[in-house]
Amino acid sequence: MPVEPGVLGSFAEPAAAARAVRALRAGGFADVRVAMPAPFPEVVAAIGKPRSLIDFITFPGAIVGLLCGIALTVGTSLAWPLVTGGKPIVSVPPFVIVIFEVTVLIGSLTNLLAMSAGTWHGGRARFFPAHQKFNADRIGVFAVGGEPARAERLLRESGAEEVGRVG
Amino acid sequence: MSLSFERLQATVRATHGRPGRGYWILLSLSAALAAWGGWAYSLIVRNGLVLTGLERPGGWGNLITDFVFWVGIAHSGTLISAILFLFRAKFRTAVYRVAEMMTVFAVMTAGLYPIFHLGRPWFAYWLFPYPNERGIWVNFRSPLIWDVFAISTYFIVSTVFLLVGVAPDAAALRDGATGWRRKLYGLLAFGWRGTDEQWRHYTRAYLFFAAFATPLVVSVHSVVSWDFAVSILPGWHSTLFPPYFVAGAILSGVAMVIVILVPLRRWLHLEEIITPHHLDMLSRLVLLTSLIVTYSYSTEILTALGEPASDPERSTFLYRMTGDYAPLFWLMVTCNCVGPALLLSGKVRRSIPAIFAISLLVNVGMWLERFNIVVTSLAHDRLPFDWRVYTPTWVEWAMTFGAFGWFFFWFLVGLKVLPPVSIAEMKEDLAHAAHASGEVAHAG
Repeated sequence: MPVEPGVLGSFAEPAAAARAVRALRAGGFADVRVAMPAPFPEVVAAIGKPRSLIDFITFPGAIVGLLCGIALTVGTSLAWPLVTGGKPIVSVPPFVIVIFEVTVLIGSLTNLLAMSAGTWHGGRARFFPAHQKFNADRIGVFAVGGEPARAERLLRESGAEEVGRVG
Repeated sequence: MSLSFERLQATVRATHGRPGRGYWILLSLSAALAAWGGWAYSLIVRNGLVLTGLERPGGWGNLITDFVFWVGIAHSGTLISAILFLFRAKFRTAVYRVAEMMTVFAVMTAGLYPIFHLGRPWFAYWLFPYPNERGIWVNFRSPLIWDVFAISTYFIVSTVFLLVGVAPDAAALRDGATGWRRKLYGLLAFGWRGTDEQWRHYTRAYLFFAAFATPLVVSVHSVVSWDFAVSILPGWHSTLFPPYFVAGAILSGVAMVIVILVPLRRWLHLEEIITPHHLDMLSRLVLLTSLIVTYSYSTEILTALGEPASDPERSTFLYRMTGDYAPLFWLMVTCNCVGPALLLSGKVRRSIPAIFAISLLVNVGMWLERFNIVVTSLAHDRLPFDWRVYTPTWVEWAMTFGAFGWFFFWFLVGLKVLPPVSIAEMKEDLAHAAHASGEVAHAG
């Protein structure tokens, strides 16, 4: 699938890339995307996207884990009521250990699924023009749509090493 | 000159170069040791636990000692990667990947021992709850089932944590690789391209992994300590055990990280990335946890000695310190308390051979600690008719050393397929350091 049309600039410094993102956004480019080898905080702040919402998947996942842990320990103990040492069939203190482990396990796996789903969109070839240098030592700033000549100028003024049209 | 992005990536990539003769020798030795342990275990499978030194009242010996030791070794990875991440400890960046790898392979080793110890290991799957036609379920009140859940969860979560951390680094290495390595890195990268959209979800998810792993790491060794503490045996039945075991686990784990990192940084030419500063910070962790362990030893001994002469707890601790196993007890104290105390000196912490030697001794001491807990308590029960000295047989020693072979075999294989340093996090740190000093981080 071809990448969306836009202008791509390559930067060596996170501060310069952040400057470019801010300039593009101030210049009316609503869709500015970045690829970088590490999550440089200044660039992340310049993009200004809201915090990821995977909290709303991970937390319920952990709650589901908690309920599964309770169902597993209590349900199976009632299904096979084995009395040992005169202890109650539903014995809360030891069950808490297993319930905790199941909560962490299912919560972590839900977190993994949520992260995979969230990162899938940003990993599509259509989302950002592929170039290995953006995983290595350069930061790519991609202005989607808008007026290409203006985007090129803003990227150059911000200190881009290379600027080119894509798509 | 500070390290550049390019040089960092090239240095890490170089660790995956063609293995030299030394690597193959070490790998062969590890495989041979593991095979020796495996063969010794096959004798137990064929003939039973009669080949071990286990006999009433000593039902647990080397194999359970090894189990607790390896679970302890597994602790440092999550401590360094998760807990220090939440505390924003910068020094973790260069060393946490090796510690995480160590964790996964140590849990793989520890998980074998409960199976080894089963009379009929081919029924090990009975330990997991699964629907069956007999309608029976596992007993969740048994500490052995807690172990199954704790160890399985820890293995899965620490493996996921390791692989999630590897993804951006694998993407960086994939782009310059060829052949099967490119395919492998591509697989490990999980489609990573480093876009802001990916980082947005990734950094949040990573925080949650750390938040899940932190209580997990505390729970796992607490659960292992309850294997002992919920019994009524003198020497085991103590509320001190969970914090004592967790501190001991971190002590042995961090010491093992140092033992591995010191030769590794030289062998893989990582001296510029893993610096004496990192080793100094790790040895401070060793010192801290050693002080907690020393406090725990003192507490349990002084508490026992404060009891009347007829008290079995007092009798057990006097036996530990003066009985058949006394040399092992005092060697343990020397390795775990006296040796690390030398790290109070900054001069010692700056000496790499010194911290290597102290850490190696801590590992010996921590194995002995588990031996002391497991064996001396069982060897000296309440009544004299129930006293017996346990001596491991060669079969048990073969399995003990075989475990080291198994662990190092996987670790050496792991070193050649997983980046031993977190490239992405190092780049973030380098960019900030360069920004602060007015340099350009990417310059070669």
